[in-house]
Amino acid sequence: MFQTERNIITNTPYTDSFDFDEIEEFVRNASKNLFISHRFKNSNKILVQPRGGFPTYDKVFELYREFTKAGVDILPLTIDSNTRLNDYEMAKKMLALSEETDENMLNGYPLINHGYRITRKMVTHYDTPISLRHGTPDARLLVEVALASGIFEIEGGPITYLLPYSKNFPLDKAFLYWKYVERLCANYSKLNEPINRESFGPLSATLQPPAIVIVIQLLEMLLSLEEGVKSFSVSFSQTGSLSQDIVSANVIKKLARKYAKQIGCGDATIHLVYHQWMGAFPRDKEFSDSLINTSTVIAAMVRADKMITKTRDESFGIPTPEVNAAAVRNTQYTLNMLRGLPTISDPQEEEHLTEMVDDIMEAVFNDPADTLWRQVFNSIKKGIIDIPFSPHIINAGEAITVRDKEYNIRFYERGKIPISDKCLAYERSKIKLGGKSLVENIIDDIGIML
Amino acid sequence: MRVVTGVVGNDIHVVANRLIEISLKERGFEVFNLGVNTYLEEFIDAVIETDANLLLISSLNGEAEGWSRDLLFLKNRFDLEGVLFAIGGNLSVGEATQEELEPKYKAYGFDLVFHQVDLNEGLDQIEKVLKESN
Repeated sequence: MFQTERNIITNTPYTDSFDFDEIEEFVRNASKNLFISHRFKNSNKILVQPRGGFPTYDKVFELYREFTKAGVDILPLTIDSNTRLNDYEMAKKMLALSEETDENMLNGYPLINHGYRITRKMVTHYDTPISLRHGTPDARLLVEVALASGIFEIEGGPITYLLPYSKNFPLDKAFLYWKYVERLCANYSKLNEPINRESFGPLSATLQPPAIVIVIQLLEMLLSLEEGVKSFSVSFSQTGSLSQDIVSANVIKKLARKYAKQIGCGDATIHLVYHQWMGAFPRDKEFSDSLINTSTVIAAMVRADKMITKTRDESFGIPTPEVNAAAVRNTQYTLNMLRGLPTISDPQEEEHLTEMVDDIMEAVFNDPADTLWRQVFNSIKKGIIDIPFSPHIINAGEAITVRDKEYNIRFYERGKIPISDKCLAYERSKIKLGGKSLVENIIDDIGIML
Repeated sequence: MRVVTGVVGNDIHVVANRLIEISLKERGFEVFNLGVNTYLEEFIDAVIETDANLLLISSLNGEAEGWSRDLLFLKNRFDLEGVLFAIGGNLSVGEATQEELEPKYKAYGFDLVFHQVDLNEGLDQIEKVLKESN
């Protein structure tokens, strides 16, 4: 039945005709170097991955050449916004225009229109793991084409690619469409090294409380592992507080193992990905360099397995390949200095964060629905899971967070998130609004890096 | 006081919209936030459904002008007497001043226009007008 569904999904005039036997043969014999899961196993450094994608094949090829010269570990393939919304007709038109005029008419690579046969040539040429970066609620066809191309890491998930990216795409559909993606990744994982799935922890990148970020990471991990995925990356982005980053990393690593074991998936490999600062960047490029360096130090301190880089042009627009590659080179340079760092922990904060996460997870599992995805769906509907600054109508938007004076993100209002009175009291005891209104505090807290 | 708010047109910038909602609540309003990516007709429907005293539309990407042209037509179709119409944010795609934009938007049917005006300053003015009209 799954194969019937695959036949329907892949039968479209917008991409190559699928030769499933040939694709299976390709994946079975593919170079181990294309698998990030293999790279994770055999590397003892933090893998460095930038972001990036252009409409035409030639420009992506050139981007990859720059990244390779700069010593990149993992290449990105960022997909354009039309493809993310399944508007392949518009992507096709804009790709044709981009090819004609040499202007970039798309903000990423329209992978489906290019198709897997041509894309695979580029992938195998560089013989480096590639990570698919998108933001697509319905990524079934996109992931089919990506895997057939030799792109063996797939980012995203039904929650993390929906709540920050869409106003009204139906959440229940997103869960089912991502179930397809998980099954596909699980099936391909049996042929060679495992396909790695990665969740998108930054969410809306604006004052996201670590407890909610971690809950969502754990739930997307469980939804993936229960379909048979064997290699998964949880992630979060720099919070703005060094100590909160360390606390978050320690807690997420511990809890990911615990919850994976609880559903009988202890054999899966779990990695940690750290995103350099995802909020508003300074206009001063030297400040941006400094921010990126600090992010790199923190990534090393939290012992991430992979780090995703930003560039000094972040507040100006999409960076050129040269600027993007320079960020990779500088990050590698900084990382090389950071060896044998001390292990840091903050037992009190870690216990507090663990308690909040466990309480929310328990409330999700106590939902009477019969499957995990329905429990999670109901929990989001009820506001048990609620992220600040989501454009989506299903998100309750009742939780409010502000920074304490050490820049830790704290709950000011919990909304319907089931954290205990004790935990909320602890969070609130840290907050000092300092004579300004709540909104003035929030505005300052969003702009701490400006 | 009941207020309907949201971001007009194909504009997905959510941060300011949430800040407006929080500020209005802090000031004691009952808030019906339609969120980002909202069409003018939806705003009018919500004003009627909630019997709102105030409609506060915001825009960040500057598209609001194109979407506001139908406001007078919609106002004439329904009885919206006593509802205060306000719009704020970044109200032009290119560069423009408050002095240029205010008469334009007033002609579209807005009572109060705030182009790149500080949020609290705008809300103070709105509250003042609402008090006076009561």
